Amino acid sequence: MKKKISLVVLTTAMSMMLLTACTGNNESANGTTQPVNGNGSTKVKTLRFATWDTGDALKIEQDIAKKFETNHPGTKIQVEAYADGFDQKLAAGFGATNPPDVMYMWDFPTYHQSLEPLNSYADGDKDLNKDDFYSGLFNYATIENSLYGIPAGFTTRVVYYNKKMFDDSKIPYPKDGWTWDDFQDISKQLTDKAKKQYGFGVRAENDTYDLQGFVWSNGSSLISDDGKTINGYMNSSETASAIQMFGDMVKNGSAVLAGGKGQQSGEDIFKGGKIAMWESGIWPLESFKQAGIDVGVVEMPAFPGKPVKGVVAESALSIAKDSKNKDLAWEFIKYYVSNEAIKMRVADLPVRVSVVKELKKDQDPLYKPFYTMLQRSDNTPAFLLNTKWNEINRQLSAAVESVVHGGNAQDTLNQTVKESERYLK
Amino acid sequence: MNHLLKQIYNRLLSGSYRSIRTKLLFCFLIVTIIPLLSLGALSYYQSAKVINSQFGKYGENAVAQLEQQTSSYLNRMSQTTETIYSYLLDPARVDLGDQIPTSYKDIMDKNDFEVLLKALKQDRTMGIYIITRSGYYYGENNLDVSKLSLIPAWPVMKNSYSEKYWLGFYPQNHGMEDTIENGISVLGLAVSVNNPYGALRGSKILIEENAEDLLHMFQLFENDTKAHLKIDDPQGRVIYETAATFNSKESDIVWNKTIEVNGWSIEARLPATSFYHSSSIIRSNTIIVAIASCLLAFVLAYLFSSRFTVRIRRLKDAMQKVRFGKLHTMTQVDAKDELGSLDTSFNNMVSGIQSLIGEVERSERLKKEAELRAFHYQINPHLLFNTLNSIQWKARLQGAEDIRQMLYHLTMVLEGNLDISQELIPIERELRMMEHFLKIQEIRYGPMFEFELECDEQLKCYLIPRMTLQPLFENIFFHGFEDGKGVIHLSVRETGNHLLLTLSDNGAGISAEKLKLLFLPNMTKRKGRGGLGVQNADQKFKLHFGLQYGLTVQSIQGEGTRIIMEWPKKEENLNGNNKDD
Repeated sequence: MKKKISLVVLTTAMSMMLLTACTGNNESANGTTQPVNGNGSTKVKTLRFATWDTGDALKIEQDIAKKFETNHPGTKIQVEAYADGFDQKLAAGFGATNPPDVMYMWDFPTYHQSLEPLNSYADGDKDLNKDDFYSGLFNYATIENSLYGIPAGFTTRVVYYNKKMFDDSKIPYPKDGWTWDDFQDISKQLTDKAKKQYGFGVRAENDTYDLQGFVWSNGSSLISDDGKTINGYMNSSETASAIQMFGDMVKNGSAVLAGGKGQQSGEDIFKGGKIAMWESGIWPLESFKQAGIDVGVVEMPAFPGKPVKGVVAESALSIAKDSKNKDLAWEFIKYYVSNEAIKMRVADLPVRVSVVKELKKDQDPLYKPFYTMLQRSDNTPAFLLNTKWNEINRQLSAAVESVVHGGNAQDTLNQTVKESERYLK
Repeated sequence: MNHLLKQIYNRLLSGSYRSIRTKLLFCFLIVTIIPLLSLGALSYYQSAKVINSQFGKYGENAVAQLEQQTSSYLNRMSQTTETIYSYLLDPARVDLGDQIPTSYKDIMDKNDFEVLLKALKQDRTMGIYIITRSGYYYGENNLDVSKLSLIPAWPVMKNSYSEKYWLGFYPQNHGMEDTIENGISVLGLAVSVNNPYGALRGSKILIEENAEDLLHMFQLFENDTKAHLKIDDPQGRVIYETAATFNSKESDIVWNKTIEVNGWSIEARLPATSFYHSSSIIRSNTIIVAIASCLLAFVLAYLFSSRFTVRIRRLKDAMQKVRFGKLHTMTQVDAKDELGSLDTSFNNMVSGIQSLIGEVERSERLKKEAELRAFHYQINPHLLFNTLNSIQWKARLQGAEDIRQMLYHLTMVLEGNLDISQELIPIERELRMMEHFLKIQEIRYGPMFEFELECDEQLKCYLIPRMTLQPLFENIFFHGFEDGKGVIHLSVRETGNHLLLTLSDNGAGISAEKLKLLFLPNMTKRKGRGGLGVQNADQKFKLHFGLQYGLTVQSIQGEGTRIIMEWPKKEENLNGNNKDD
């Protein structure tokens, strides 16, 4: 009897060991199943925030989101960086009624139907304090008297110049109130083709939005104020000459094309010390400083006898109409445009007067021209005047590209107007 | 421990003495180990077979999955290039040129084309470019054409005539800002535009897909299976190979798959040792378990058998003690099993022997006492007989015939009485002596009594203890009869191999109280002669034939007494030696 028992014990012990040896592998393969996070998601509210930024700017935004999370326990901000595919992904999100709750926004004419009107939120909200914002910023986010976005950052456009290159050629630094003639002269003087050094860089592919500042400064515009006519505006001699000027500078060699096929970007050439002047918004300023360039900032030149006009590029935050957490989204937007968050964001110009005053940004010579240009930005951009502007813009961009590659501005713009007018009907 | 081992060694190998324990141990081990080992071997072979076949299938599936994944990449890329190619074949695109477009219309065409290229981009697409002969290209502006020769297969491709050329895996480092070191891994496809019709003849379509996931899959596969993965194109160019060095052998397990799109062959080689790795783990485990079980079985067997044999040994020791005369030895009874009953019966046997020996001792002592007593009473028979013969002769001379008769009979009785050379005598002799005794009584009392004898002649030759009847007859005359008046009946019969002698009289009988005391040895001594004859006779039977024999007395006061004695038949030996043992 005992003999039998011991046998049974031994055989079972052995088969157990064999079994465990066999199942060991399975466990390691299946054992790492992730715990289902079903309960957690019902307790923690998740807010999706879409941005087009990348790199350092994105990192700052993630930091702001984290701060908001610590201030609001039980909240999770999911930062979705769409980068280049921003428009595509946003449109897809709206189409699938699954958009992010909060998103960066600038193209209100295109998207406003999918956005939550914010008047009821913004009016009378003391935390927001609408009056502290630079006047005019709200206009960009307003369609037919409805506010669809809260300005989060903006920039105007200025001319950066490399002080060292000016010093080397013993040319005095440009000053506010200079003209395009001064600009072209300086460009010529600073150009040294032997050193592959140029006075100015012209973008091979321009955003026509940015060109509006020059057109307005020359007393014209891309579209009539009522948004119904382009003939005589887009192809006016003032518009044509403003654009032609850049084509001519490339042609006569005082400027170099940048950012095209096989070309370095203008910022990189400027950082490399190969162009003396570069026209842009606030964005590259930090990188210029980091690259060790002794950079100066000056407001845009004027066309003789005409006032300088600026154009504002604004980014705002909007709430999707399909969002399920609108109140929380509003809290997040308010935090995002609060003094605390604005101070964290160095890639944008502060939207609040109080912050600018506190940081004395309007006293800083590197920042002051941006605010001067802001005061000069009272024209309405074309995309706000006509909902079909995107289509027209496609033709106009091609025309501008043609001009900087040596085309005749007047002829090309005439042709563009002819082909674009069908979108106005 | 050493001591124990030595002991075991001695026990196991000493040929002369094999204890039951050793035998038990061996039997036990054989009974345990054979099924254990066969079970272990069986389970090993079964599980190894299952595991090997499963692992083989797993490997095949994994390679098939790699093939699927890779071909899905390749298909997608191939389709994209075909879309671009067919777009270029459209006569409307004939204006797309080799040079930088400058006119408004050319730029519009370029933009349209690039919109298509952008639309063709998918999540994994890292770049779609159409590189013209002049070096101008269509696509995103981030390409540096001069760096394209960094692609390992790019220069080779220029000598190739095929339209589609798969560039394989390489780091994408031909961007404007890329350096040679960085760049994520991509899978590239270049298609030469050779069609005599359509735009951009002589250009190359370059499409690159992010291959990090795919390469990660390859790595997972390599880590999982430890196999050596190699992808070749049909020309024998190595597209991908596991980084670790590998010597292929005939014995390797090989999983093969060919991708349909471009004929790449995926080959995963696994050294046989790795393939059988899991089964060899099972084998070693099985062996370890088997050895452990054997050891355990050995220990258990040792413990059990020693526990078992300890009892036998104890019994053996007890027997030894008994052999040396220690009759009080008792073994301990542990359990109610065969050994337990053996112990019990051993104990019974010893106590039986003990009581038997006591009995023998007692009977021996009685015998000695009797002999002593005999010595005590011994009289020189010659003197007695001579004297009696002289008296007899004197009586004849004086004419006293009665006295001479009595003396004659007395002499005969005494002769029988005093002949102590034989303890057992034939019944016939005893009966003859009784006749003499009765004659004496007849002379004494006259013809007052009757004696009836019932005995077959053949029974007369059987033996009976000497002087058994005479005291009983004396008792009858002295206690039973008054003045010799009465009837005595003696019968001898045989029952089976026993003899049954019945002596009955019609005398006074014995009272019930006296009858009770008759066989108690102490009481009779005190009472003097009465009952001594009965007890003596009884003792004689018991001494000669055993305790179960003897005589019984039935008596009713005033009516008579019946004495019955029973003893086994025994004939006189031929050589005359009838001494009992």
